[in-house]
Amino acid sequence: MNVATHRSDTNFATQAQAQTAMRLLLIEDDLEAASYLVKGLRENGYTIDHSADGRDGLERATSGGYDVIIADRQLPELDGLSIIIELRKNADRTPVLILSALGTVDDRVHGLKAGGDDYLTKPFAFAELLARVEALSRRASTHATETTRLKVADLELDLLARRVIRAGRNIDLTAKEFQLLEYLMRRPDQVVTRTMLLEGVWNLQFDPQTNIIDVHMSRLRTAIDKNFAKPLIHTVRGAGYMLKTPEAA
Amino acid sequence: MAQPTFRLSSARLAALYVIIFAVGVVSLLTAVYFLTARVLDREVDAVIQAEVNGLVDVYRQGGLLQLIGTLHRRADSWGRTGAVYLLANPDGSRIAGNIARWPSQVVANNQWLEFDIDATERGQVVSHPVRARALALAGGPTLLVGTDILERKRLASRLRNAMFWCASLCVLLGTTVTSIYSRGVRRRISSIALTCETIISGKLSQRLAIENTKDEFDELSRTVNHMLDRIQQQTEILRTTFDSAAHDLRAPLYRARVRIEETLQHANIPGNARDTMEATLLELERVQRTLGTLLQIAQAEGHGRELSAEVLDLAALTHEIVDLYQPEATQRGITLTARTPDTAALRGSRQLLAQALVNLVENALKYVPQNGHVVIELNNEPDEIVLSVADDGPGIPEEDRERVLQPFIRLERDRANTGSGLGLSLVAAVMRLHRATMELLDNHPGLIVRCRIPVSRAD
Repeated sequence: MNVATHRSDTNFATQAQAQTAMRLLLIEDDLEAASYLVKGLRENGYTIDHSADGRDGLERATSGGYDVIIADRQLPELDGLSIIIELRKNADRTPVLILSALGTVDDRVHGLKAGGDDYLTKPFAFAELLARVEALSRRASTHATETTRLKVADLELDLLARRVIRAGRNIDLTAKEFQLLEYLMRRPDQVVTRTMLLEGVWNLQFDPQTNIIDVHMSRLRTAIDKNFAKPLIHTVRGAGYMLKTPEAA
Repeated sequence: MAQPTFRLSSARLAALYVIIFAVGVVSLLTAVYFLTARVLDREVDAVIQAEVNGLVDVYRQGGLLQLIGTLHRRADSWGRTGAVYLLANPDGSRIAGNIARWPSQVVANNQWLEFDIDATERGQVVSHPVRARALALAGGPTLLVGTDILERKRLASRLRNAMFWCASLCVLLGTTVTSIYSRGVRRRISSIALTCETIISGKLSQRLAIENTKDEFDELSRTVNHMLDRIQQQTEILRTTFDSAAHDLRAPLYRARVRIEETLQHANIPGNARDTMEATLLELERVQRTLGTLLQIAQAEGHGRELSAEVLDLAALTHEIVDLYQPEATQRGITLTARTPDTAALRGSRQLLAQALVNLVENALKYVPQNGHVVIELNNEPDEIVLSVADDGPGIPEEDRERVLQPFIRLERDRANTGSGLGLSLVAAVMRLHRATMELLDNHPGLIVRCRIPVSRAD
């Protein structure tokens, strides 16, 4: 939520801006919704093209050069899944975020099976979209490297020894807290939303009615930040959390 | 499924028919047999009686010599008719007749009697049954007039045999025909039941087969199909109304939200107006969420859609969710525990079952007071997994238990609560989709929600 960016001091969108602008393609037939998305994404530093139907969308997508494609599930001419299937047939691995108003289990499963990389059910908070687009664009730029050791500032996480050390001090975490921290440390300086954490750490896709993730995060936070001067875990209001390197703050 | 009952009742009906049929046939044939036997007996007796009367008259009028003469005259027909005559002295020695001696067991008292005499036929001694009448004549001699009833007995036994085979054939035929017929009935009833099951599971477009046999089943099927047409029509209207309402609500809600977000970002808004807008944003989010849950219930109820089922381990899922809610429970001072077997495999929708479990846990955590307990239990039973979520909160009064499973029903005491009133109805919908039964029970005190989820064979 842009609101949050402004009111809290964390301007999490600037990371994308700082590098050469990411190019996005939005394929969405709801013109009003599309115009808001285009506007919002531009303000957050993305270069964005919009296509209002499936066939045109596929043409643009195949012409290449996009870092992330955001495609609606239901489109005139050619639906979102067909676009992904076409792209994948041509060995085009551009990350695709599927937007869907249906939001059923099947759609999600079908969407991801067809080769989609992430799935977002309408309506969604803009912050959620932004966080996921950013995650996808990062994934596209940094090719997944197999590491056994993650390091953010003075925080180190050893995946093999299942150990967490901050400034030379050992930190005891439960298995779930360890997984949470790993998820965050794999995405440093990125907004991670609560639903992303639910999906990534618990493998659950549902809309929590309570602040259930916050309770877990506050525990993790106590363990990681309590006895140290500079906090690493930050709340991004209206969006989620961010593990931030102090230099980037 | 209720099929075994059909099988039983149609088999029982067939058996009953066969038994009634058999009893009928057997009693009919028995009656025929006894009547025939009686007629034959009477005929024999009448002939013997006439003969006796004739011979007594001869004796009375012509004396002993005349009688002996008559008996001799009858000699040529003796062998042919199988008639037995004996005129004997009181000591049993023969005066005239075709048997050698007065049979020792026969008393001449003018009674009907039956006995065996041995005759030599083609060098073989054959025992012949004889029916006869013996009487003492005035002046000493005794007279025995009878008839060889071997043929009659043979006839009776042949008749019995014929009747036995006839009855057996009838019973066999009856059994075959009724079992074929009852199998036909059973097949149609099972096919109707099977189709109904499919319809219940959400495929409202299914129809009962009409076999054009123009019987009651076709009539019943036609009527049921008519009914289904009507129901489908109504459901379709409801569904499209609901879908378009949901869709039409979603888009403007979404835009309203984005607009407020936008405005909040750009305009220089004074603090209290900003607070109002943020509160409005939260309200919008709540409406969206309720709408989302409603859509989820509608989807879980299935519009005749197939569940995208995967094999999943409900025990692992339960632990994930308990793990997720553990800190929340601890914070509220509630003990949350899971008791499950190592695995509880079933085919189902992971996401929907997770949502159902979450709703159950959230519901329990909402009502259980501090120091309370929430226990989730899983049990593997032969054909189902039993999931119970038990708490020691206030529970739900018995008369309200059915009601709370319906959408938007909230108990009077919860009016102040912010819940949508959809939590348990979503659980109920998810359970229906998995063909599970769900019941709310008393935990004395507290509530137990018990779901029995059938384990469809993972093939």
